[in-house]
Amino acid sequence: MEFGKEFYREFAEAWTTQNGYQLGQTISPDLPAADLQRIYRSMDTEHLNWKNGRNDDYKTLIKRGLQNSGVKAQGISPNEVQGWAEVYHAYWKSTGCLFAAKRSQGNQGSTSLWTEVYDEWKKLVNALIQGYNSHGFEAWTIPCLYMAGKHLRLFAMKADDERNKNAVDNDPSAAFRDDFDPESEKHKQLEDCARVLNRIFTVCLSDRAPLAESRKWGIYYIINLLFKTYFKLNSTSLSKNVIKVLTAGRGDMPDFYAFPKSQQVTFKYHEGVLAFLEENYVEAEKHLTEAWNTIHKDATRNKELILTYLIPCHLITTHTLPSEKLLEPYPRLQKLFLPLCRCIKKGELHAFDVALQEGEDEFVKRRIYLTLERGRDIALRNLLRKVFIAGGFVTAKEGELPVRRTRIPVSEFAAAITLGSQEKVDNDEVECLLANMIYKGLMKGYISRDHGMVVLSKSGAFPGTGV
Amino acid sequence: MASSSKDTKPTEGAKAEQQQTPETTTQQKPAALEEDDEFEDFPVDDWAVEDTEATANTTTSGQQHLWEESWDDDDTSDDFSNQLKEELKKVEASKKR
Repeated sequence: MEFGKEFYREFAEAWTTQNGYQLGQTISPDLPAADLQRIYRSMDTEHLNWKNGRNDDYKTLIKRGLQNSGVKAQGISPNEVQGWAEVYHAYWKSTGCLFAAKRSQGNQGSTSLWTEVYDEWKKLVNALIQGYNSHGFEAWTIPCLYMAGKHLRLFAMKADDERNKNAVDNDPSAAFRDDFDPESEKHKQLEDCARVLNRIFTVCLSDRAPLAESRKWGIYYIINLLFKTYFKLNSTSLSKNVIKVLTAGRGDMPDFYAFPKSQQVTFKYHEGVLAFLEENYVEAEKHLTEAWNTIHKDATRNKELILTYLIPCHLITTHTLPSEKLLEPYPRLQKLFLPLCRCIKKGELHAFDVALQEGEDEFVKRRIYLTLERGRDIALRNLLRKVFIAGGFVTAKEGELPVRRTRIPVSEFAAAITLGSQEKVDNDEVECLLANMIYKGLMKGYISRDHGMVVLSKSGAFPGTGV
Repeated sequence: MASSSKDTKPTEGAKAEQQQTPETTTQQKPAALEEDDEFEDFPVDDWAVEDTEATANTTTSGQQHLWEESWDDDDTSDDFSNQLKEELKKVEASKKR
């Protein structure tokens, strides 16, 4: 909104009714270029309107505007007004840069417009942090921090993109050169952003006011921003640190389930993926399932992301596959998982290896390759079970139920394992695979090497199933 | 992803390819976004329990049916099972010789 009477009235209304989200909207940069330009220019008009204040700088003008908006009667302190004047002054300057950046978008030539936007916006964030630290901003205003933090990250990514693109445009060979530390240069702004977000995190966490009016209510929103940032920076250890700090202070924290569901789900998703990357699948499944259960039913893309990790998790923890109904709405997940799932179910070991290899790039990119690789055990187990079933029954004594053949030659398993593949697997290797299955509890029995036989348990040779 | 699906049907001929041009361009857009694995912001901050996945997509019996109930494939009539049976017969036959 342009600086002027309307704007100050909006501020006064939000402040008087303690409407944090309304206040947050007043510093939204998410506007069309034309609006940004109008806001930026409005200060010039303001300047002309204040006949007595011709010599005042814009910050003083904003301060006066805020003071005269009616909030004074509501008991705002001059110190707080000063704090907001700093914030809005920084906002005003940002709109100018942002307008320039948006206008020139797509133009050729090397520019650093987004870096300027980032730098200006960072000043706004700092003004807000300062507001909480020394100007008495109250906890209900934290949606302003959300707005500021959210866009700081977006601008940081734009600035990084812009710089990386310029580097390649100016010197095409730069794209292939091995820099000293290419990663850190690539995400320069985003790393800086992570540090700023961390300061916001501290602002929220360190508040000692009673819970009802504590900035701790901002903690999950900010943590989620940090997670997204750290994930992009590929730094899971920093994400883990956040969780550690959170766990340490949990006693003084509002109840997790009292936070908005969007924050709960986003937090649980990241917590789950972190556990997943540490191969702590039980923990990962717990968090991801919670995210899944709480998520909005129409958030298709996010549901897809949850399932990308939940499905491999579930495969490891319970050895079961996703139902067709589950995958139905997600063609991308079908493409990702169905070939493997079919092979696992049928026990087609060789086809499993082929499918894993074919999807390797995609699996690695999504960081699920190692987990899915462990699905080979399940495929093998299902294959061995098929051999067992194919063995049929031995002739039962009279009056007794037929009993399955439980003595099976190693060579039969060997034939099954090599089926479809051109490679020959020698018997030692087969025995090794079988021993592993027994060790992992996927098959019950023992190997009688002298006879080249596997003797399977008569009761439940393949645990978890009827036979 | 869009490019790989194109790769699978190079035989369909140039005509089909031309007709599909507007479609493929629109398809490429989300594909570019998919590069980004980031968890998206929700359009709303909070929602009712009725709108959560757990409540909305649970059947009356209280089951979500996400997973196959058994990990056993007892369908022994498919190609692979038959192939396997053949193979096992061969092994047995060679034993008897």
